[in-house]
Amino acid sequence: MSYVDAGYTVALATLFVYGLGLGLRRRRWERALRANEAPADPAGSGERS
Amino acid sequence: MNPTGSVSRPRWLTVVGVLGVVAVGFTVWLGLWITPPDAVQGNLARLVYVHPAIATVALYWAGGVAVAASLFYLWPRTRTFFWDRLAVSAVEVGAVFAALTCVTGSIWGRPAWGVWWAWDARLTSTALLLLLELGYLALRRVPTDPAVRARRSAVAALLIAVDVPIVHFSVDWWQTLHQGGTVLDPGFHLHIHGSMAWTFLLGFIAFSLIFVWLLGVRYRVEVLSDQVGDQEMDVSLAERWSEGTELVGAAASSPVPAAPPGGAPTMVDQ
Repeated sequence: MSYVDAGYTVALATLFVYGLGLGLRRRRWERALRANEAPADPAGSGERS
Repeated sequence: MNPTGSVSRPRWLTVVGVLGVVAVGFTVWLGLWITPPDAVQGNLARLVYVHPAIATVALYWAGGVAVAASLFYLWPRTRTFFWDRLAVSAVEVGAVFAALTCVTGSIWGRPAWGVWWAWDARLTSTALLLLLELGYLALRRVPTDPAVRARRSAVAALLIAVDVPIVHFSVDWWQTLHQGGTVLDPGFHLHIHGSMAWTFLLGFIAFSLIFVWLLGVRYRVEVLSDQVGDQEMDVSLAERWSEGTELVGAAASSPVPAAPPGGAPTMVDQ
């Protein structure tokens, strides 16, 4: 592999992996938010001042 | 009004992401297969279609957003957590681009200079920027009140920003191994032409679009994590409230509490 190929591979692979990681983090937080919504609402704690 | 900010998925962000991916694809295609090799550097010059664009994002776009957001947070009239979330998002994405700047520069430097790394002013100040950004992210993990964390982080971001002009002017202030302006000289004369110029420009646009997309997604992660944190706090407070109500109710219904089997005192007894 040439230096040029290595440079492009590292750059694109890193951005891809980071973007994928962000997507997974977003999904995990969205699931946690939905899971918390059910027990939180009956307590009437959704309104905060 | 939602106190933790909007969490909807904006359509424009998806469009920006798709455009960014397409633009990066075209940049790679043009950069690796269409543009001619450089007269001096040969094929090695193809790295110029990605490295300066990535460095521009790390230094100016991410740095600019982080500084502006931190200033808006510190300014009392504009202080909202929106700016704090935007700042941390810009710093994190900026750290990824700063790391890539160092790595792609190093990959170019090995065949061009003969070394992977040199304690050159431009290289060192860029590596320092990456370390400071990692320090900023570590600082945010220190448990404290969100307002204190936001103010502390905003001040830290402004301190980090001092390094940005140092990186930019390092090639002018010191005699460095890293070359000066690659495309434009101080007299704004263009040194790149034809398909190489267009590919170079497209690389800037492509990585800028990717930056905006990553920034938007990272911001959404921050909003969601804050919302979950708020919900967990609400649930915890509700549970404590419920426990307290039960204890008060038990104490009111039995003025002379029965001793437990072991005879140990309970909280109600006290």
